[in-house]
Amino acid sequence: MTLTLDDDKIEEAIIGVDQGAGIRIRVGERQNFANANIADADDLMTLAARAAASVAEDTETERVQLRPDDVPRTHDVLVDPRTVPIPRKVALLRRGNDVARATDPRIHQVTVYYGESIQDVVIANSDGRYRTDTRVRTNFALIAVAKQGEVLESGFEAIRTSRGFETLTDETIDDCARTAARRATKNVDAEPAPAGTYTVVLSAEAGGTLVHESVGHGLEADLNLRGMSVYSGRIGEQVASPLITVIDDGTDPGQRGTAALDDEGTQTQRTVLIENGILRTYMSDRKHARLLGIPESGNARRQSFRHLPICRMTNTLIAPGESDPAEILASVEDGIFVRKMGGGQVDVVSGNFAFEVTESYRIRDGRLAEPLRGATLVGQGPKLMSEIDMVGRDLGYSTGTCGKDGQGAPVADAQPTLRIPSVVIGGR
Amino acid sequence: MTERLANDAIVDRAIEALRRQSAEAEVFLRDSATTSIEVKDGAIENVLARGERGIGIRVIDEQRMGFAFTSDLSTSGIDECVLAARSMSAVTEPDPDLRIARGDTDEVDLGILEGVCDRSVEQRAEAAFAAERAARALDARVTGFRKTRYHDGRSTTILATTSGARGSYGESWSGLDTSVIASDAADRQVGSHARASRRSAEIDPEAIGRYAAGIAVGKLGARTLATQKLPVVLEPYQAMSLLGAIAPLFSAENVLKGKSLFAGRIGESVASASVTIIDDARLSGGLRTAPFDGEGTATRQKTLVGGGVLQGYLTSLKTASRLGAEPTGNARRSSYSGPSRIGPSNFFIQAGREDAGALVRDLDRALRITSLLNLHTIDPISGEFSLGVAGDYLERGERQYPVQGITIAGNLLGLLASISGVGSDLTFGGAGAGSPTLVISELSVGGT
Repeated sequence: MTLTLDDDKIEEAIIGVDQGAGIRIRVGERQNFANANIADADDLMTLAARAAASVAEDTETERVQLRPDDVPRTHDVLVDPRTVPIPRKVALLRRGNDVARATDPRIHQVTVYYGESIQDVVIANSDGRYRTDTRVRTNFALIAVAKQGEVLESGFEAIRTSRGFETLTDETIDDCARTAARRATKNVDAEPAPAGTYTVVLSAEAGGTLVHESVGHGLEADLNLRGMSVYSGRIGEQVASPLITVIDDGTDPGQRGTAALDDEGTQTQRTVLIENGILRTYMSDRKHARLLGIPESGNARRQSFRHLPICRMTNTLIAPGESDPAEILASVEDGIFVRKMGGGQVDVVSGNFAFEVTESYRIRDGRLAEPLRGATLVGQGPKLMSEIDMVGRDLGYSTGTCGKDGQGAPVADAQPTLRIPSVVIGGR
Repeated sequence: MTERLANDAIVDRAIEALRRQSAEAEVFLRDSATTSIEVKDGAIENVLARGERGIGIRVIDEQRMGFAFTSDLSTSGIDECVLAARSMSAVTEPDPDLRIARGDTDEVDLGILEGVCDRSVEQRAEAAFAAERAARALDARVTGFRKTRYHDGRSTTILATTSGARGSYGESWSGLDTSVIASDAADRQVGSHARASRRSAEIDPEAIGRYAAGIAVGKLGARTLATQKLPVVLEPYQAMSLLGAIAPLFSAENVLKGKSLFAGRIGESVASASVTIIDDARLSGGLRTAPFDGEGTATRQKTLVGGGVLQGYLTSLKTASRLGAEPTGNARRSSYSGPSRIGPSNFFIQAGREDAGALVRDLDRALRITSLLNLHTIDPISGEFSLGVAGDYLERGERQYPVQGITIAGNLLGLLASISGVGSDLTFGGAGAGSPTLVISELSVGGT
């Protein structure tokens, strides 16, 4: 269900059901996949017959006994959002709208979203695996638009978790609304960011788009099978500064990318990908774990029963280091301080990535100076990861929907405050 | 066993249930089937047969809208969806401009449905293999593929309202995309390209493979550029990507809510005089061609910017009512699972008269862009863009060396105003957007 408040009005209320199944048959290294809407067992049998048509008739078959087993849940959902009356959800939208508008007279438009989704999955395979999971996701997001003269700027903030309605309190909503409004108003009278090469301090508060784009995608096992990633064939090698440890953790309680199982029914886990700069392993699904000879890491994810599972991130982070964040800022004479990152993209073959900066400030003499308008930072993953020379002892999260091969997946990313000695910033 | 209904019967059942409730409502059904063959280096990796069928019901009750969708098309699933849409209308607030379509849509052949085309998995895979062979044949430095995919599909769309409007159409498409990897001793690069068409025979696998290979090979040995301002050449595929980012500025929804830089600017100059932008959902065989939009409004061709002057917006029933205008048929449905959103159909910059090559040769120094990173982060509200780019540094149209790890930045309004050249080579891409080669007189380039 999603509810939208826009232009001071509850404008949309949407509810829906999507149910079906996908069947995947492996013949050698070829995967044959078929899916359909499923209303009952007859539909499922029809689909199975269609999928089986891709297998030669003389193939030997055996009857498999399914073995149901339970996997521990990563966290409890305290308040199932379906049990909360709709007027309470509407009240949150209005509160977010009111708080954002009250922040500054230049806020001239606000859009607020509430969303809840409950995904029930059943996974059975010919190894006899039979596991089920229920994934609850509760989301709140707010876009504030500020206007000054002819200049429009927007600011965004969201609360997106795998927890229940308990994460949406008056306090968290107010904070979310004020943050979005601050980003919009700060940007309307900010100077354009400069263009060129600068020293950059990424605040922990900025979120984890950098780790996701510059390292994360390159460590997905499917991209490493045939040497397509800049990290291919480098397990055991130094691929980053010794200050850098990268972890993917599908068990991180309540985070947006968390679930008990991946979409092949493998239990999720905390996987150390890079340890003090040394590449340890990749994020795998069953196929690529087998082909690469690495452990299954529970990173097979699919958008829905209409999609094949592929290797991808869950909650990915750079582990905190030892530096005091205030000292990192104070160490920079002239540079850029990034307080919030937006979306990003990477070309895994060359390692070139770009990510958006949505809130940033000039650093002069180790202090925050004038605000700057948004810009993109670009670089090359392994090079940047080798150059980071200060890692803070803090940690900040951000959430997003990662796109890969046409499929979306809910993820979270996190990193501590980081100092990058020189990186290209795409201002004007 | 669950009762199974045909598409028309599903829509009929929903409309009857809605009429019994005296609700004003619209029912949208889409039934689609697609096949994708993913190959890599000459071997079939994945064969996907996907089906998607569902309904979305939009109810307007005392000027309030509720929406529900389901892929459970059993009789009980349809009935539950009707009740859910009704209950959602109690949550929203009244809007006197909400409308549903009245009257039937016209029957017209728009060239979007191919006759029966039953190709085997092997025949489809052969198209993908042909693209890979052509890429390898172009240059010995082509060393592999990230993925090559051939896909095709067909779908049926039915829209009906309780006020008696009803229409349906079928459509088909085919497409091929590939990501080619090129390597030399010092560097490794990727080049991607995708094309799609309403007719499978119009897909040219060899041309797609060669184009992607050309980008990958062309990037080998790329270096950075000094930070400076430079004229920029956007080839059609890059130009249409940026054009897609401009589309939300034309949305009447954004205009009415004060979220578009084009608000209040009809009749004013918003682009260079050489720029004419057209939206045409009736373009024969276009990838976004359809006889009616997601609310049942008949589509038509519109000039949005003529000679640089803003002439109109894209509207839905609701926004047209508020503006006191005729709806343009741009309430688009990407799926049954959500209400329509205003968006472009086949959306393109009209071809100019000048040869693209001659335009480029006129520039002493220029940056030609072949890849853009982070297009999805362009903010249509502020119009600000800052993108990672790869391409070629040119002098008098001659390529000097490839470049990457640099940025371009500006504002979409400034970009439109600084288009100094429009080529004659109008090309359409995968999402219905089209553009000729564009020359931008100057953009900020960030590098060393």
